[in-house]
Amino acid sequence: MKSNASVSDRIFVILVYVILGGLSITTLLPMMQAVTISLSPPEVVNSYGFHLIPFEFDFTGYERVMQYGALWTAYGNTIVRTLLGTLITLIMTFLGAYPLSKRSLPNRKLWTGVIVLTMFFSGGLIPSYLLIKGLGIMNTMWSLVLPGAVSAFMLLIVRNFIIGLPESLEESAKIDGANDIVILFRIVLPLSLPIIATVGLYSGVGHWNAWFDSMIYIQDEKKQVLQMILRKILLEGQDVSVEAGAGSTAQAVNSETVKMAALVVSVLPILLVYPFLQKYFVKGTLMGSVKG
Amino acid sequence: MRNATKKIAGIALALTMGFGLLSGCAGGNNGTNGASGTNDGGVQSTEGSETTTPAPASPITLKWLGYDSYGQPNPDSYVVKTVEEKFNANFDFWYVDSQKWEDNLNVRLAAGEMPDVLKITNRQNLPKYINQGILAPIPMETLEAHAPTYVKFLNDNYPEVWDGVKYQGEIYAIPMTNLNGSYPTVVIWRQDWLDKVGITKIPETIEEYEEALTKFRNEDPDGDGQKDTYGLSDFALPNILGAFGYPGITDFKGAGKGDASKSIQFTMKDDNVVITAIQPEMKEALSLLQRWYKAGLIDPEFITSENTTGYWADSQAFYNSKIGITGMSMFYHWRNQMNPDIVDDQGGGQYKAFKESVPEGEASFGVPAVGPKGASGTPMWDTASHPIAITTEAMKDPAKLELLLKMIEAAVTDYEYYLTLTNGEKGVDWKMEDDKFVNLSASDSLAEANVKGKNVLNAKVSYDPFIKQRDAFDYKFADENAKTSGYNAVYVPNLETFSKHSNTLNKLTVEAYFKIITGEESVDYFDEYVATFRANGGDALEQEANEAYKAMVGK
Repeated sequence: MKSNASVSDRIFVILVYVILGGLSITTLLPMMQAVTISLSPPEVVNSYGFHLIPFEFDFTGYERVMQYGALWTAYGNTIVRTLLGTLITLIMTFLGAYPLSKRSLPNRKLWTGVIVLTMFFSGGLIPSYLLIKGLGIMNTMWSLVLPGAVSAFMLLIVRNFIIGLPESLEESAKIDGANDIVILFRIVLPLSLPIIATVGLYSGVGHWNAWFDSMIYIQDEKKQVLQMILRKILLEGQDVSVEAGAGSTAQAVNSETVKMAALVVSVLPILLVYPFLQKYFVKGTLMGSVKG
Repeated sequence: MRNATKKIAGIALALTMGFGLLSGCAGGNNGTNGASGTNDGGVQSTEGSETTTPAPASPITLKWLGYDSYGQPNPDSYVVKTVEEKFNANFDFWYVDSQKWEDNLNVRLAAGEMPDVLKITNRQNLPKYINQGILAPIPMETLEAHAPTYVKFLNDNYPEVWDGVKYQGEIYAIPMTNLNGSYPTVVIWRQDWLDKVGITKIPETIEEYEEALTKFRNEDPDGDGQKDTYGLSDFALPNILGAFGYPGITDFKGAGKGDASKSIQFTMKDDNVVITAIQPEMKEALSLLQRWYKAGLIDPEFITSENTTGYWADSQAFYNSKIGITGMSMFYHWRNQMNPDIVDDQGGGQYKAFKESVPEGEASFGVPAVGPKGASGTPMWDTASHPIAITTEAMKDPAKLELLLKMIEAAVTDYEYYLTLTNGEKGVDWKMEDDKFVNLSASDSLAEANVKGKNVLNAKVSYDPFIKQRDAFDYKFADENAKTSGYNAVYVPNLETFSKHSNTLNKLTVEAYFKIITGEESVDYFDEYVATFRANGGDALEQEANEAYKAMVGK
């Protein structure tokens, strides 16, 4: 008999579904609009009203984007940066969190305290710039990947997660003669796949979307990341002051169609990756937040 | 045993880490030399200040940021190589993203780097750069000695541009001009609507305007049986304000977004500099607009602008047959005569978009409304473009300044060289057909043009005779259709009061104008607004502007 659920429960469920439905629509609509505009001819783009489903198709936007060399170079840069950055972050976060999770680490509280302190203070923009310059990694991939490789917040989450693993596993491994390194690789790592996926996803998405550091540290246009080139394409022709002050006649500015096509092309990979990592994502965040 | 080894290993590791930390501190971060991050691919970079002679012995290296950097120039491109050979020079291009110019450049300048040739995007920064020690004075004699044609060109046609590069009487940068600044922004009518409602003459006086716009609103000019058409929206408002005096707001959308330069402008009245937004004739103008709004002539959505998406000059309201008159853009946006020498010419960009939306529609050029006292005009863009400066670092070697001036002089004396600088390689990017210039790479975006070396090494020189020769059809069209009346702001040197108060004053102005037009406040609210404006720094600003202007001009 289904009348286990009382009326108020049913209403609650319906309410939740309505809210979720509303949120989903709010999230989906802009994406649908972007995809539709990327496929529509200019007169449709200029017409009033919602553009949610394309009725007339115009692929010149995508053609133009395919030819846009700068976009593809930037794509490559972003992919390299994301993979390299995520790898470095994972390795370093893990190697940092594992010792901190051991109760037998001397001065454990001190180390944890120092790391937590860094979460609150930051030097600011100019000191960071001078630091990167002084290190000599300006205008290279390392300036994008090394600063902020380890997020203190992520470190603590991973540490909590490892603390949550049963101690008996490690003790029995020790009895069998394993040292710490072996325990890390053979036992802790395989069990931590959810948290690895979480940290990997956070870090990966962060790197994929990052643009500010690229803007400051990278001077060569060939080394810019995707978001910078995308931003440049999208902001073209928005402000009259650029044309008025520069003293040039209107040159060929990318139409809305091309801009949206560039947007869709940039967002697609992450959009496709998310569903596969999603189940780890939910599990990982939950486990990381539960204490011992 | 094992424990001992562990302990030793642990201490060793800790010590290594410790030493690593300490050595980092002792290394000394001297971020002064610009050699680390700014070198571009295959360009040799000699230490600029050590070049011995300007003679063909060794090429002079210029760190170049004297261009609108939409894209990074390719040092191996034809244009760059041609210029390098012609002047025995080497160019080391700085690239600063044009969209975040100020932020990016300021970070690099703060770190102690500076290029040799610097474009000054915002003239208001001139005093700041001078105080930071980035710019040095340039004697007029040097300019006249190495670039006589250019100096004469400026003195004959744009004498006002020298004001913008002077500080305390000395010249700190080479002025650059903008030919389009001498053509006012346009007035565009829906010609097919005018025909439909029976108006045969393009409206001139403010009464004729009112007649036409009333008919647009009430007589269903788009023939769809619904009262869904209006007269005008925000692009044409400065035109109407201009029928009474200098428009208080020259760009409603920009001012609404918070750009104070679109509303807090200066003009001359009886030899004194005054602020345009608070002049009494604006009260009359606003009362007229309030009446028009009540009569339904102004599109109620003017508050969010007739441009709803895309390029700033696009008027979606005009394309969607909602309004009958527009403006704000330049003649080349709306050119409706086709150039017979260009294959498939569809006219100006906005005219083309309009025809795509409304194939049976027609757009024609009009004149700004003439008000009761005979005033008329639309806002004009600045005739002064971004000046080019040579930095103190470059000034250590006088050959560099000479090189820059020689480059400028060559650009204004050799037509084909000018074309190469601005349009690329002859035969590849452009060609000459019976003395007519034909652009073969018109679809290049601004960024792609920069990569090919176009518009990079002309140091922003915009030489009117060559431009009119190259784009003969366009400028002939402009002279016939777009030489209407216009208002040009007076250039007032940088004032701290301006930076301090401009945002508040702009907000006050936008609020007051919008409220009066929509009828939310009565016309007499204007007097309240003026009083508040003056009390919140407006008076101080006006006075200071007047003094600074007189000091600059030397009265």
